[in-house]
Amino acid sequence: MTRLLRAELYKIRTTPGPWVCLAVTLLLTALGIVLSFLVADRGTVHFGAPTTTHDLRNLVGAGFTAGTVMAPVLGVLVITTEYRHKVLTTTLLVNPRRSQVLTAKVLASIVWGLLLCLGSLALVAAMGVPLLVSQGGSVSHLLDQVGPVVPGLLGAYALLCVYGLGIGVLVRNQIAGVILSLGISLVLEPIVVALFSALVHWDVNWLPSRATQAIAGGLTGGRAGAGVIGTALLSWWLGALALIAWGLGLALVGYFTTFRRDVS
Amino acid sequence: MAAPGVDVRSLTKRFRRVTAVRDLSFTVQPGRVTGFLGPNGAGKTTTLRILLDLVSATSGSATIGGVRYRDLPQPARQVGAVLEATSFHPSRRARAHLTMMALAAGIEQSRVDQVLAVVGLTEDAHRKVGGYSLGMRQRLQLAGALLGDPGVLVLDEPSNGLDPQGIAWLRELLRYLAREGRTILVSSHLLAEMAQTIDDVVIVSQGTLRVQGPLSLLTAQTHSSMRVRTPEAQRLAGIVAQAGFTPRPEAPGVVLVDGASPEQLGPLLAAHQVVVYEVTQRTQDLESLFLQLTTTLGAPAAAQGPPPAAARPPGAPGIPAAARPPGPGGPGAPGPPGPPGATAGMGSPAPSPPPEVRP
Repeated sequence: MTRLLRAELYKIRTTPGPWVCLAVTLLLTALGIVLSFLVADRGTVHFGAPTTTHDLRNLVGAGFTAGTVMAPVLGVLVITTEYRHKVLTTTLLVNPRRSQVLTAKVLASIVWGLLLCLGSLALVAAMGVPLLVSQGGSVSHLLDQVGPVVPGLLGAYALLCVYGLGIGVLVRNQIAGVILSLGISLVLEPIVVALFSALVHWDVNWLPSRATQAIAGGLTGGRAGAGVIGTALLSWWLGALALIAWGLGLALVGYFTTFRRDVS
Repeated sequence: MAAPGVDVRSLTKRFRRVTAVRDLSFTVQPGRVTGFLGPNGAGKTTTLRILLDLVSATSGSATIGGVRYRDLPQPARQVGAVLEATSFHPSRRARAHLTMMALAAGIEQSRVDQVLAVVGLTEDAHRKVGGYSLGMRQRLQLAGALLGDPGVLVLDEPSNGLDPQGIAWLRELLRYLAREGRTILVSSHLLAEMAQTIDDVVIVSQGTLRVQGPLSLLTAQTHSSMRVRTPEAQRLAGIVAQAGFTPRPEAPGVVLVDGASPEQLGPLLAAHQVVVYEVTQRTQDLESLFLQLTTTLGAPAAAQGPPPAAARPPGAPGIPAAARPPGPGGPGAPGPPGPPGATAGMGSPAPSPPPEVRP
């Protein structure tokens, strides 16, 4: 398995897709932080340091929301690139045991999810701290906000990457997988959450984005994370369980349906 | 090198309504280059993909040394495969492609440079595969196949995209690898192109085995016929039939005399004072024999059972089928390379049953 994992990690880093994904994530993270500063004063366009805990959470959350949207996309790319360019043929010729191949891909997705999160963390620190200091804000306050949720963020990114991998295994088509992943995160989930909240007053907390917010202490998810819709999040460990269920569940379903199909 | 053989036994693959491979059985011996031949759509690629566990069989088995590909302890070190020249990420560099394979197979990185040198891609190893020509991609595929120094090579149309020099190089390489005792199964839809490379043939059409045996056996079946244009066609037919040749009317006033050489027919015509307008020799080459084998016998009716003698092409009689299970040595049992004709029922050019097609 170590050999396979090394090969998968090497495979991912020798294609441009994941790097583009990482670059887009960091760009959006930076934009999120800047925008958060611009609207720090309760929605008014005003460049100033966050003054309240709520503002700080928005700042940090804005930095990570992009990542939680892009992490599944990265997972999608890990597997669909193989289908798109028929590299899966080579992969399976070297190791025809498909369960091992998929397991290696799950592990590689976790590693890349962690890398994506570490990149986002570094950027939040690199941008957030100078901005806060320049505006007279408190760095310790920022650390207090981010510190406790770092493990949750790392776990969320890793599991979201596996969740994306599961989508990719099921869909196989790269473009469809990316669109589906983004569509679920940005369109479908908010609609489902809003509908259930409005119609039956039920918080649908086990969907991937909401589960991510639970793990990340409510940091991510923009305004939804700030508590406009659905105030009650799952506890972090239930959120983690939900994300694991989404990620491994989709991967397992994919394994038993599409991944074992003929490769021609 | 004591390489295992390949054993395909009663293999059938159905894709919904289409039967791509139908009860196909053949064996591939170590130390020999076996041509897996048939027209496009004959089921060659499907068979090879089943052998390599990329496609599941509907029934039957395809094994290497008696073991399924997925059960081989170290597949990449035991079997090398070239399947198609498109299995590359275009943005990945050639060396990275091989490194990726080596990492997954636990093969030392020094082999990457070695196989790049073998296929002549050392200078271009740093380039992205997307910029490679089809021939270069084939070479890279071959490098990947050789990476684990395998005893068995399975190559699907490896000469596609190669220039004449490349084909000559591939021919030499395959001959060299076979001399080392490796088992080499190479598919093609062109028998003539493979004739100088292969020792044995497995000819399939419409997913069914047509012929298996040494190439020399096929070569012996090529024959010449004389085409005679004469106003005495009927009389001529009687004369040549009496002399032991087979006359076939081709058109009004034109008779084909199978099996006769100019030296045999000329004196015969002179002795009987037959008026002729034109006499030409027709030599059936290997390719046309191949075409006859894969088209005439490929009619759907023929697949239901052994074709009647009259349905056989002129060159077909005497070509034995070899769709027989392996002997007591076990499927694909390793052993020294056998000489042509060593497999039971393959060696004799004497009249034998028509190609065996199981119902």
